[in-house]
Amino acid sequence: MRKLLVIFAAAVMITSLAAAQTATGNLTVTATVAGSINLVFNNDANGVQLTSGDGTNAASLNFGTVSAFGTLPTGVSRPTPTATTFTVSTPVDVQVNKTNSASANYTLVAQLTTADATNTWAVNGSAFTNASAGTATATGAYGSKVPVALAITIPFTTADSTVISNVVNFTATAN
Amino acid sequence: MKNRLTIRMLMATGLLLFGLPLFAQKPTATGTINAQLVNKNGIALVFDSDPGGVTLGSAGTSAATLNFGTISAFGPLSTGVTRTSLTAANFTVRTIFDVQVIQGGLTSTTYTLRAQLASVLPTGFSFKIDGVTLANGNTNIQTNGAYNVDVSHNLDLTVSTAAPGAGGPAVGTALTTVINFQASAN
Repeated sequence: MRKLLVIFAAAVMITSLAAAQTATGNLTVTATVAGSINLVFNNDANGVQLTSGDGTNAASLNFGTVSAFGTLPTGVSRPTPTATTFTVSTPVDVQVNKTNSASANYTLVAQLTTADATNTWAVNGSAFTNASAGTATATGAYGSKVPVALAITIPFTTADSTVISNVVNFTATAN
Repeated sequence: MKNRLTIRMLMATGLLLFGLPLFAQKPTATGTINAQLVNKNGIALVFDSDPGGVTLGSAGTSAATLNFGTISAFGPLSTGVTRTSLTAANFTVRTIFDVQVIQGGLTSTTYTLRAQLASVLPTGFSFKIDGVTLANGNTNIQTNGAYNVDVSHNLDLTVSTAAPGAGGPAVGTALTTVINFQASAN
């Protein structure tokens, strides 16, 4: 009996010594989620193809050589000229995506970066300058490509081979 | 007369007895202590900030905090946080933290690191460590961790892009989750 007790005690001690050593710790992780929206430009099937930046928010668009009466590049349209000006227009797609937001739609506006005292710029018929924005849409649908007509009205007095260049800033605001 | 003699003798004896120590050497005492200690083996786990990740609160302890800051699918992220994926359904942000398991007195050369969520996750959240999805039960993260060095781990937080109330997380408020870690000597 005594032997059994000794063996049992020894077994208990060995088990105790052999028990796996463990250590614990806890990491408290915090994050604050913010709703966000994102805007990208895409080629429009009926418009001038973007020179660069398709699918990004910094694209380049080249109307090419335009004139009041001559042939226009593919994707560029021209309403009937007035007595003093002509307008060229092309659609470009804008897609705005939203995350973590209950907003139903967005407002899209455009504004020139630098002043243009000669030509008139417009998005979806809404004129804009460097001082004031034009509204392309007040109810833009999220998650889909929305065609936006970008137009430039040029006076007949513009000299031949004049290059017109400006940066149009588009801003989408969640409604 | 006899009394006087007795008094003189007593005084002489007293002077002899109490005066001797004044001329003796400084007293010394010695002793020995038989000290004994039992070197208890064990391991400990601490969290450390990783140079590539966010700075932990209470780094160097076993109860640290990690704040991703404000995260979003498209917006800027805090230093040490990267966006590793973005789909229509969700986005994932990542940071790196270090775990150091210190051992003493063990013959073990490696450890197994497990982790589990302390509670149910906020709506629209899921966590992975080193690609392993965390749950409310212990999950192996690493089975051959090296002792006494910082071992970096990727912490991925995947967030639903759905709107609040439609399966997405609450917006604009800090959402907190506790992850419990356990290191076991192999």
